[in-house]
Amino acid sequence: MNIIPTIGMETHVELKTNSKMFCRCYVLDTDLPNESLCPTCLGLPGSLPAPNKKAIEFITLLALSTNCSITNEGMFHRKNYFYPDLPKNYQISQFDLPVGTEGSLEIVVDGEFETVEIERVHMEEDTGKSTHIGSGRIDSATSTHLDFNRAGIPLVEVVTKPLIKSSKEAVAYIEELRQLVIDLNISEGKLEKGNLRFDANISVAYEGDKELGTKVEIKNMNSLKSLEKAIEYEISRQTKMLKSKENIIQETRHWDEKKEVTSSMRSKEGSADYRYFSDPDIPNMILSEDFVNTIKATIPVLPSEKRKVFMDSGLSIEDSNNLGKSSNWIGDFYIQVSEITKDSKASFNFITGELQGQLRKLELLSLPNWVTAKNLSEIIILVNNDKISFTSAKEILTKLIEEKLEPEEYAVSNNLIQENDIDEIGKIVLEVIDSNEEVIIRISDGEDKLIGFLVGQIIKLSKGKVNPSVAKELLLKEINS
Amino acid sequence: MTDKIDIKNVAKLAALKLNEDEQQQLEKDLSMIIEHFAALSEMDLPDDKISIHPLGMSLNLAEDIASKSLTHEEALRNAPDSKDGQFVVPPSLD
Repeated sequence: MNIIPTIGMETHVELKTNSKMFCRCYVLDTDLPNESLCPTCLGLPGSLPAPNKKAIEFITLLALSTNCSITNEGMFHRKNYFYPDLPKNYQISQFDLPVGTEGSLEIVVDGEFETVEIERVHMEEDTGKSTHIGSGRIDSATSTHLDFNRAGIPLVEVVTKPLIKSSKEAVAYIEELRQLVIDLNISEGKLEKGNLRFDANISVAYEGDKELGTKVEIKNMNSLKSLEKAIEYEISRQTKMLKSKENIIQETRHWDEKKEVTSSMRSKEGSADYRYFSDPDIPNMILSEDFVNTIKATIPVLPSEKRKVFMDSGLSIEDSNNLGKSSNWIGDFYIQVSEITKDSKASFNFITGELQGQLRKLELLSLPNWVTAKNLSEIIILVNNDKISFTSAKEILTKLIEEKLEPEEYAVSNNLIQENDIDEIGKIVLEVIDSNEEVIIRISDGEDKLIGFLVGQIIKLSKGKVNPSVAKELLLKEINS
Repeated sequence: MTDKIDIKNVAKLAALKLNEDEQQQLEKDLSMIIEHFAALSEMDLPDDKISIHPLGMSLNLAEDIASKSLTHEEALRNAPDSKDGQFVVPPSLD
């Protein structure tokens, strides 16, 4: 019988507000520790939390953009746990009345659409950073150092239903969520900076079983690569255990990036362990219909809508999805170019491959103003009509980024127009065959790779004007005749 | 009648060590409290009369305008121990 994995994702999104969630301390991006603190985020007696309006607007925007129902009365709870990274000994979070519930997010996996169901979207605060000091293993640390700059920064937790079926799907989901928070302009969305942090809940069960297997939570995955590897590892570990009828323990496991294994951290807490209760310092939050409608009106073009526009232009789901991850101006530029060239695939390839590659090399973030959809399209059309080779197209593009020019004029005056006259090419082919008799014999004996050498000779003799595929075709015809 | 209380789990969550006598006594006491609440939930009350939060007021959100509060030195002043600008506490693992 088949064994089926089930995955649920919990993702923390750090919001880009000016001040923290419950106090007005600056949200700082600095290596200097403990620079942005006040009595509230240090948990000093007598301080009171005051929730950040911008953060509530941001979470409502995210909840609406993931098709969630918005609660009309949200409540903050205290999640109690004893650990020094939160000086209050509790984290202000949400429990039974989160901002958003029952949403969904469209993702692309292997060129196909899938839907990830969202269970809840709730508001909470970040913890401080702890560094364990001492030599060797982490559990032989001699002290823990604490920096509370991050304590209290607004975090949105997005929890999916346990319906994700593979590591690939989990990665695609995180990529989509990342693009969404960037497009909504509510988070930097940088994984390497910890703006997006995720845990995976994984279980395995026999296909057809009514109940899910025992859930294991995996922490400490810092990149999409490690997310994929950790899920793969964990599925295979649990599958082996299920097959050999071993007992899978409900626990939290740590992904070890170097050893590429998960190892047990602690037994998993249930929600009762956190002794949630409503925070008596914060009244309930009324999210009125007016408030929600005002936020709804600010929803920008979403990644799924961008994909739709690109697909309507003729691109595949996969290409549309990839293009959606580029800066908005690249997508807009692509649309203009593909309308002129009438060739979506060639426009996509040239813009995302050649143009973006050259811009990256030059460390340019935008196009010089003389590079227009019109003259870029002209280059693509010259290639499509076999007037210039792709190599020449790259050269013209390089020049065009440097200075204003007309691509076709440049191609003519720099001898880049290809020879398409079959008779002329045929003469060059014969010339090459005559002066390479030995090579022709070796090709006849089966050394096919020498064909490439001869094509090279033809192009060289024509000073680069012959289309390589035409040259090859004529050459083979001559050899086989 | 309400479900039986799992007194051992409650003691574990509260980090309390209870002997057999204490367990029996507390189980009885807690069951009585739960019965009182069960009686409350059987009362027929209109939805708007049910208090779900101790504060009977709605929340005013604060504008996202950041300001400087404690200086680095002030923040660390009362810490029992600090080093390299950080609070130092006994080793603790997550």
